[in-house]
Amino acid sequence: MRALVALAGAAFTATACYALGSVIAARVGVRLRRVEKFPLSFVLGASVLHLAIFAVLALHIAYKPVLWLVLAACAGLALRTGDWRLPAADETSPGLPRAIRYLFGVIAAVFTTLYLFNAWAPEISPDGASYHLGLTARYLRARGFERITTNMLASFSGGVDLLYIPAFAIGHHSAAALLHFTFLIALALMVLAYGQRIGKPLAGAAAALLVYASPVVGIDGTTAYTDVAVAAIVFAVFYWTQLWDENRDHRILIAIGLLAGYCYAAKYTAFVMIVYAIGFIIWRTRQWQPALTVVGCSLIMIAPWAIKNWIYVHNPVAPFANYWFPNPYFYVAVEKDWTATLRDYRLKNMWALPLEVTVRGLATQGLLGPVFLAAPLALLALRNREGRKLLLPCALVLLPYIANIGTRFLISSLPFLSLALALTLETLAPAVLIAVILIHAVTSWPDVMRTYCDTWVWSLHEIPFKAALRIIPEGTFLADHIDYQWARMIETDVPPGKLVFSFTGVPDAYTNREVLISYWGALNNDIGDALTMGWNKGWQPDKVWIFSVPKQKYRRLRLVQTATATIRQEQWNIHELRFFHDGAELPRRPEWRLEAWPDPWGVQRAFDNSEATRWRSWDTLRPGMWMAVDFGQDELVDQVRVELSGDEWEARMQLETMGAAGRWIPVTTHMELRKAVYSGLLRRAATYEAHLRSVDYFLIKDSDFGAKDYAEYPESWGWTRLEHAYGASLYRVNP
Amino acid sequence: MPRVWFARAARRCAAVRYSNWKVTAGSGWLSLCGALSGFLCGCGNLPEPYAPPPQRPVFEAPISGVRVLTMADADAETHFVQDISPSLEANTWRWTGKRPAIRMFPGTTQKLNYTIDFAVPGATFTQTGPVTVSFFVNERLLDKIRYASPGRQRFEKAVPAEWMDANEYTILAAEIDKVWIPAKRGDKPLGFILVSLGLEQTGLEQK
Repeated sequence: MRALVALAGAAFTATACYALGSVIAARVGVRLRRVEKFPLSFVLGASVLHLAIFAVLALHIAYKPVLWLVLAACAGLALRTGDWRLPAADETSPGLPRAIRYLFGVIAAVFTTLYLFNAWAPEISPDGASYHLGLTARYLRARGFERITTNMLASFSGGVDLLYIPAFAIGHHSAAALLHFTFLIALALMVLAYGQRIGKPLAGAAAALLVYASPVVGIDGTTAYTDVAVAAIVFAVFYWTQLWDENRDHRILIAIGLLAGYCYAAKYTAFVMIVYAIGFIIWRTRQWQPALTVVGCSLIMIAPWAIKNWIYVHNPVAPFANYWFPNPYFYVAVEKDWTATLRDYRLKNMWALPLEVTVRGLATQGLLGPVFLAAPLALLALRNREGRKLLLPCALVLLPYIANIGTRFLISSLPFLSLALALTLETLAPAVLIAVILIHAVTSWPDVMRTYCDTWVWSLHEIPFKAALRIIPEGTFLADHIDYQWARMIETDVPPGKLVFSFTGVPDAYTNREVLISYWGALNNDIGDALTMGWNKGWQPDKVWIFSVPKQKYRRLRLVQTATATIRQEQWNIHELRFFHDGAELPRRPEWRLEAWPDPWGVQRAFDNSEATRWRSWDTLRPGMWMAVDFGQDELVDQVRVELSGDEWEARMQLETMGAAGRWIPVTTHMELRKAVYSGLLRRAATYEAHLRSVDYFLIKDSDFGAKDYAEYPESWGWTRLEHAYGASLYRVNP
Repeated sequence: MPRVWFARAARRCAAVRYSNWKVTAGSGWLSLCGALSGFLCGCGNLPEPYAPPPQRPVFEAPISGVRVLTMADADAETHFVQDISPSLEANTWRWTGKRPAIRMFPGTTQKLNYTIDFAVPGATFTQTGPVTVSFFVNERLLDKIRYASPGRQRFEKAVPAEWMDANEYTILAAEIDKVWIPAKRGDKPLGFILVSLGLEQTGLEQK
């Protein structure tokens, strides 16, 4: 029953997408061929349906009957207009020789079996079961969007994820994966159809198989990820621009605009297709007015996401560009670290990247298949018009790849690349092309793939018939996955409504408790910083800069940082900033006003008397960073003490006071560096900080930094270990 | 001026009709401008200055005063008994007189080592020649060592438990037999360079 429900959830959502798309496609003045009708309508409908789901979530009416009603309305509309019908087969278009048709058909059928059962099996993929479906489940519980400031992934545009909402509501986790699989089928069909449309059916069919059988496409397209769906949307934009170029009916521009905007709504990096669509239309018409239609329709898709982020996290393009849109929720330094990691995946030699993404696949998490080592041959397609048409968007889509070199981020360019490669090989010799497809199919099959790539590469392993059909119960299947057990541990031991802190991810989709991952939000970073300070001497308060200043009255004092970091990770960290007169510390009165830059929101951490907290610049150390205090009245000060961390080496500071003209003037000081002495219990102080932020539960994996300290001194931390299993401990703060 | 451009652009766009759906490009243009101005407004998003937050309590560690006092410690002066300069040099060390001493409250007498990090500077050595340093715990001689050349030195030795009382201050001292006498009258004689001095507990877990 559970298996059928999953299938129904995906099928019903996919039907609604197709139905809605077919109604729109019928009204934009283009006659779609039989083979084109499903994929193009499905993707177009998905774009508009996502807006409807967005509205449902924004209105907080995401109840099951409402979602059913939205899907039923789409299907009903197509039934009423009759637009759902497939057109008659086009007899005039060239077909494939029967033998090749059978051969390619068998390959497609075999891979479809592999994919269908994997998508149908219980979903436990890393990103799918954590944030894609974790957020889906959370929105469904809340009946709408929630303001999530502790998970930067919630700020991504989620145009495809929103389609998982009705699928998940009906068919749970697997329904989302099955819906993504539908996008994979649509993508392959679009590539096939495009080949037929340009009179190259063999190249089209071969390219479709190159994409379809690629191992990374297989694993991604059968889980609740979104990369394959994004590739389908990207290719749909290209396809519709070609249809417009053939027909020159301006109504098609609406479809192009909606889909181009949907590219952004599905994944930020796909925004390049807006540039492509606009550029292509201006180039072909030599007019800018038609392009404005595309811009306007794109904005319909983009605006909801930008506005949502603007309202929730004060940054329309969150979680990126936090430097330009400063906000208290995401730190610039974390964004820099994260994007730097995505740029190299800790790959030491970038020359190895082609081999990594095609054959090895471990570092960049997935492989395209060895035949894509021949991808440079696709450049030979530049010799003909069709090839140039394909390689231009391919190059554009590849541009953002520099920002994230994960193999799955190549999927969007794969249809273009595959078609160009197939066109080249077909020109060379059709037999070579067929041989390449056979090699690709064989080398992409899981058992064969394991003979040349790493065992732990992200890919499919087998056909899980029993798990898909729930002959093996879902719980039994999932229980073999350690991540799932962590989620269950949380679900069992943590009371509803309580927050859990963890240094690494868990499959949120299988727990109703909110898990704060240490690196996904400013609040999480602060708690992680305090906890790490509890055991890591390098992060603890270690030195005190003592500024002896002329003994006089000051109203405002400002500490300015003057050094430049030699490494990106270097920050300015101030545990406490204290002011003294005649050896006695000035009490911190409520009239004081504190400011800092950058991270003005965190300035209180330098004035809270806690050695387990510190104000951090959360950006690379650079001259001009400052922290200022307005005493509210003139105060006698003769000494300023700045307490810094042990990992603070490069910061250099100068003290300034505000002159009568309202300008900051340097204060002559005598500086002395002392060693900080702290007699308190840092571990307990760190726990106190977490508790103040409503975090009383910690899931610590044995492999986490500091795990040994938490395990050996729980009483020193003020924790009780509730459970230790599956390589992780769950702790509770003692009341 | 920009307003005139926008008005002209809007008029031109509104005149273009692409389909029977009455799609006008003007709406797209205006929405683009709206979005851009919105993006720019996103920058004015900074908070008002904050008042100091509630002060956190200090969570007391188990009482143990066992430590090696480095001369750069913020509270170093509070432990000085005699013959240690109030000026910290190079953020690391201080000059001593003939018999520098500090006081500590160890809280225990078990497994404690007397530990001192110091240097006999070449500049004073030229005048004094080889020196002998005696190390004391509560005025009892722990050891005596002769240094025949200048340079950095470290001395460590276990302290008999019965020499100390866990609930009383312990005085740690080091005495140099020959001090450097300054040429200028009135300047203080110099002993050696002191970096750290204290007690270290061995064989126990240290946080």
